[in-house]
Amino acid sequence: MSQADIRKWFMKSHDKANASKPAPAPAPAASALPKQSTDPPQQQNVHVGEENSGRRKTSKYFPPNKPKPNEEKETVQVPAKRKTRPDPVESSRPSPAKKVQKVADDDDDDDFVLPQSKKKEATPSKKLKNASGMGIPQNLTSADESDDDETKASRKSGGRGRGGRGSSSAAPAAGRGRGAGRGGFMNFGERKDPPHKGEKDVPEGDPNCLAGLTFVISGTLDSLEREEAEDLIKRHGGRITGSVSKKTSYLLCDEDIEGRKSSKAKELGTAFLTEDGLFDKIRASIRAEAPVKEEKKPVDSARESSLANKSPKKVALKGSPDCTSSSLACRVSHKQSPSDASLARRKEQTTEHSALTWTEKYRPKVPNDIIGNQSLVKQLHDWLAHWHEQFRDTGVKKKGNKPNNTGAKKAVLLSGTPGIGKTTSAKLVSQMLGFQAIEVNASDSRGKADSKIVKGIGGSNANSVKELVSNESLSMDRSKHPKTVLIMDEVDGMSAGDRGGVADLIASIKSSKIPIICICNDRYSQKLKSLVNYCLLLSFRKPTKQQMAKRLKQVANAEGLQVNEIALEELAERVNGDMRMALNQLHYMSLSMSVIKYEDIRQRLLSSAKDEDISPFTAVDKLFGFNAGKLRMDERFDLSMSDPDLVPLLIQENYINYRASAAVKDDSGVERMNLIARAAESIGNGDIINVQIRKYRQWQLSQSCSLSSSIIPAALLRGQRETLEQGERNFNRFGGWLGKNSTLGKNLRLLEDLHFHLLASRESSSGRETLRVEYLPLLLKRLSVPLRKLSKDEAVQEVVEFMNTYSISQDDYDTIVELSKFQGHPNPLDGVQPAVKAALTKAYKEGSKSRMVRVAEFVTFPGMKKAPKKRIAAILEPSDDVTGENNNDTLVLSEEENSSDTEDLESSAVGEKLQQELQSLNKKGVQVQLDLKGATNPSAKRTPAGRGKGASSGASEKKGGRGSGSGAKRKR
Amino acid sequence: MKAEGRIRIEKGKAAGRGRERVHDFPPLLPSEESKMLWVDKYRPKTLDQAMVHQDTAQNLKKLVAEQDCPHLLFYGPSGSGKKTLIIALIRQIFGPSADKVKVENRTWKVDAGSRTIDIELTTLSSTNHIELNPSDAGFQDRYIVQEIIKEMAKNRPIDTKGKKGYKILVLNEVDKLSREAQHSLRRTMEKYSAYCRLILCCNSSSKVTEAIRSRCLNVRINAPTDEQIVKALEFIGKKEGLQLPSGFAAHIAEKSNRSLRRAILSLETCHVQQYPFTSNQIIPSMDWEEYVSEIVSDIMKEQSPKRLYLVRQKLYELLVNCIPPEIILKRLLYELLKKLDAELKHEVCHWAAYYEHRMRLGQKAIFHLEAFVAKFMSIYKAFLIAAFG
Repeated sequence: MSQADIRKWFMKSHDKANASKPAPAPAPAASALPKQSTDPPQQQNVHVGEENSGRRKTSKYFPPNKPKPNEEKETVQVPAKRKTRPDPVESSRPSPAKKVQKVADDDDDDDFVLPQSKKKEATPSKKLKNASGMGIPQNLTSADESDDDETKASRKSGGRGRGGRGSSSAAPAAGRGRGAGRGGFMNFGERKDPPHKGEKDVPEGDPNCLAGLTFVISGTLDSLEREEAEDLIKRHGGRITGSVSKKTSYLLCDEDIEGRKSSKAKELGTAFLTEDGLFDKIRASIRAEAPVKEEKKPVDSARESSLANKSPKKVALKGSPDCTSSSLACRVSHKQSPSDASLARRKEQTTEHSALTWTEKYRPKVPNDIIGNQSLVKQLHDWLAHWHEQFRDTGVKKKGNKPNNTGAKKAVLLSGTPGIGKTTSAKLVSQMLGFQAIEVNASDSRGKADSKIVKGIGGSNANSVKELVSNESLSMDRSKHPKTVLIMDEVDGMSAGDRGGVADLIASIKSSKIPIICICNDRYSQKLKSLVNYCLLLSFRKPTKQQMAKRLKQVANAEGLQVNEIALEELAERVNGDMRMALNQLHYMSLSMSVIKYEDIRQRLLSSAKDEDISPFTAVDKLFGFNAGKLRMDERFDLSMSDPDLVPLLIQENYINYRASAAVKDDSGVERMNLIARAAESIGNGDIINVQIRKYRQWQLSQSCSLSSSIIPAALLRGQRETLEQGERNFNRFGGWLGKNSTLGKNLRLLEDLHFHLLASRESSSGRETLRVEYLPLLLKRLSVPLRKLSKDEAVQEVVEFMNTYSISQDDYDTIVELSKFQGHPNPLDGVQPAVKAALTKAYKEGSKSRMVRVAEFVTFPGMKKAPKKRIAAILEPSDDVTGENNNDTLVLSEEENSSDTEDLESSAVGEKLQQELQSLNKKGVQVQLDLKGATNPSAKRTPAGRGKGASSGASEKKGGRGSGSGAKRKR
Repeated sequence: MKAEGRIRIEKGKAAGRGRERVHDFPPLLPSEESKMLWVDKYRPKTLDQAMVHQDTAQNLKKLVAEQDCPHLLFYGPSGSGKKTLIIALIRQIFGPSADKVKVENRTWKVDAGSRTIDIELTTLSSTNHIELNPSDAGFQDRYIVQEIIKEMAKNRPIDTKGKKGYKILVLNEVDKLSREAQHSLRRTMEKYSAYCRLILCCNSSSKVTEAIRSRCLNVRINAPTDEQIVKALEFIGKKEGLQLPSGFAAHIAEKSNRSLRRAILSLETCHVQQYPFTSNQIIPSMDWEEYVSEIVSDIMKEQSPKRLYLVRQKLYELLVNCIPPEIILKRLLYELLKKLDAELKHEVCHWAAYYEHRMRLGQKAIFHLEAFVAKFMSIYKAFLIAAFG
């Protein structure tokens, strides 16, 4: 017998010693130790039995006759289920004897091994410190209670019921950013690496050895990453939650970090467990198997009688953690009456219904059977029940009376992901209220033109919807004619084939005299936009995995399938809330095996996981996650392809944050730096391939692209994420490139404007890059140094003159300053008095009145009427005619020819004269402008939009012309 | 006329963006000239005025004195006077009408198979020449090249008065043109050679395809020597009436890396900073250069992911401030080499070249810059540990 048993035994007695104390109390344990530590392990079970009864009395949480749940963590809950569930099928699976021992073996619940204690040396002195007497009773009772509560709650509020407790379920669809693998627990700040990461052997124990135990992990473990620990526990049938509650069996931690979890645990008297302790437990499960076997039985049978009558009270579905007490009983009964009857029954049952798939067979028969969304079902029920009261009179708008009432809508729209029971709810509710449901779904053509929808309501021989509506008045005699309800299934599937379907549906709703239930998957679908206005919206949520597991458990029991709760929860999680799919999976697996374990489900669903939308963040989390090494290549491709543009950016942004698990033992950091360099190069490859894809449309390269831009970097650096900046949250950052790129784009545009102005000033002919790289520092100096050095007036004058010379506008001034700012460097304008700045602005604005603005928009030039007028006429005339686009085009073309001719002629003949004119005008500070727009660009005016622009350009003339006494519009 | 349907040139189309479209530029008022930057003020206006490449200028003058001129390809390092020569050359060919330029943002609508692409580009044009920078259009540069030339061919000047019967198309930064654009250029160059001449301008002729180079008269513009720069600086100093301490001009010339433009700009920067020059005055370097050297000292100080992250942010800062990534990388290498051990230099140069090449192949410069820094860090770290343990 192993030491674990000794320890367990010891702990039991210890429990007794301080059963009334909620907090660990080492002292009493010390006294208990000497005499009991020598007891042979054989006594243990007996002892436990006694102790249980004793404790039962003392625990305020237990009703006097409640069984001690301590021993058994078996997941089966047959008797209870039989009573509480309408399900006719009774599950009575024979639970193999060996499980019992294992479970019994794990029972050293109260074991709290301090970090320094080694696995094999559980000496008394160590045990002195381990003393949490009250842990178990409290936990278990509270589990029972809260389980019941929860069941109720979840009935009522659908998915919301699970609240804080279920946080470890990491709903896959939960917001972006949190990977499902993280257990959903938001861990802010940095978690240290396990100090002995990867140095210990992780034991493999019996898959059910932790069944029924609920763990909370806190702080850094000794050798396991948090995720690894979670996986380990789950694999052995344990359950992980995010925060300590009364149900928690153990707080797994290697150091007391005095956090909220540990204080809460102390308050609740939850047992503490170290990682080594956990390993011990798991190892013990194997070692202890054989010996415990015999001992166990007597105890069980002894207890059986007392237990049997209590168990029915419980809701069985919760399975192991909660219902250990009753499960004890039932398991025992299985063992003792070696399941002949139940086996027989199972056979009979399966043969009986073999034709039915499980999804049909276990389709809810009454609304209460529906998993989750009970409040919605209730709402639907109310709506349907009151429909006739509300709309009976006319069948048409009585809405005016009660606009806000739920019944005010004549139709209802149920939405939600597939497989969560929308259709079932609709049918059941109708059935319950005595409505005759007529279902029209995507298999029926529902187009407007094809009047099937109109005709097909009650089958091909029946009346149209409208007739049906009118029938209502005829069939007032309800005893004869059952009420009818129209269920329009899959309305978002009304596609090309059902042209006008939605519109027609709306029309039907308006005039209908029967209630209409529409069902869709995506209520935000574009197609349904108009429909939602006429419907009462009920959005079905995914049931929680606990709810699903509960129901799956029922089914499994009914089918005689042996599955534990954790496995079912895993299944529920994998199918992402799709009950139908879960049942199908279960059905399928039942064909090949009769005992399904957590591992089986994991393995199977790896390959047949439901397609779901993976957010890029989740994908990146998974690619970098601790499990990423086990992903298959195609899975990695799937992940990186979930958003082939965004995932590489996220990877690129975050890859340096990961401490590669490939380089754990790397003290100097060289190895990590090497990996980063390799990853960076690979990311660069991805970029190059991406160019090939986009530029040359080599889409066949997209796999290579995601390989090199996402998969390779992630594979090189997968590991624990760490933060690089103080105060950074330890999540993957959003790809910075997008933001920076758009800023770059903006700045380039600004720079281009500046460049344009400088070119326009004709003082400079440099390229844009040269401008930024070489000119800008000097420009900045010319613009800022005088402001600092000279007196205010002088400085302002100088700077404004300079700006005028180069046509630098105030916006350009800002651009120059902006582009010269570097993080961590002083602002180039520091040291300039605000008064000076203000004066500069003022002076510049004043100057703009008399300034020779070289940069402006189209200004009419009064002296040059002829040519422009002709052009303008040419532009405006055709565009008056909105439809005459062809006509327009020809005009445009002829105009273009025309213009090019005249242009050259004019330019040669008139050019010189004009030039002189212009110069004289310039001398006077008059702005001279060209408008070539009309001349060469009539095509811009071809469309009405173009016309609008014409108008707006007219408006902008005023603006552009500001400061120019008279503009010059000239035709060259 | 068939081409009409394919391309329409629209001016002023994008007025909604609030940008100025068309400008005409009256000649300068004399009073303003004093405010100009020296670099522009003392730019040679004609081929005769050229101070630095007089022989080249004279050759060019002879070349165009005969009726025709071939396609030209100017190449040479920046700040050596290519642009100046080109402008002077155009002026030489067309006379003063070449000064009457307008700047516009033009939008091309190009039918590319199934879809229509809008391309916007700034052009600078007179009646006789158009200057543009087609590489700004990115991937679409080849459309620009094709369409602009066809358009010019269409609007062939009908000059009966003895003027040149061709237009000149000045393409800047040809080395940044995509390969496709260069290929499409080569055919159009021949096809429309009756209507237009191309003047291509680039830094390195190695990035211009052989086919194009062989169709052009290649004109190599060398970087001016230090003596020439000193001469130019002294000339400016004299004109501006400055007191140049002895050796000061030489000092600037030395720091300018044989770029005349840079030298003149730094002279003026010094002037703005502190006028009565002292011979040991600090010649300020560019703002971004300082920033790059900060990055380099960051890198040398510590090689860790944390530092890499910091460097990434700084690189972003540079990129966002519109510093071209190639220049950043070059500067980065330059600064690194200054601080490196001799035995690493070769390897680091190799990697810099490697990543620069990849940067040009790729699109997201930061990835490659970062990859270079990461590579350097990993090499340098390994080196440090090997050397000092």
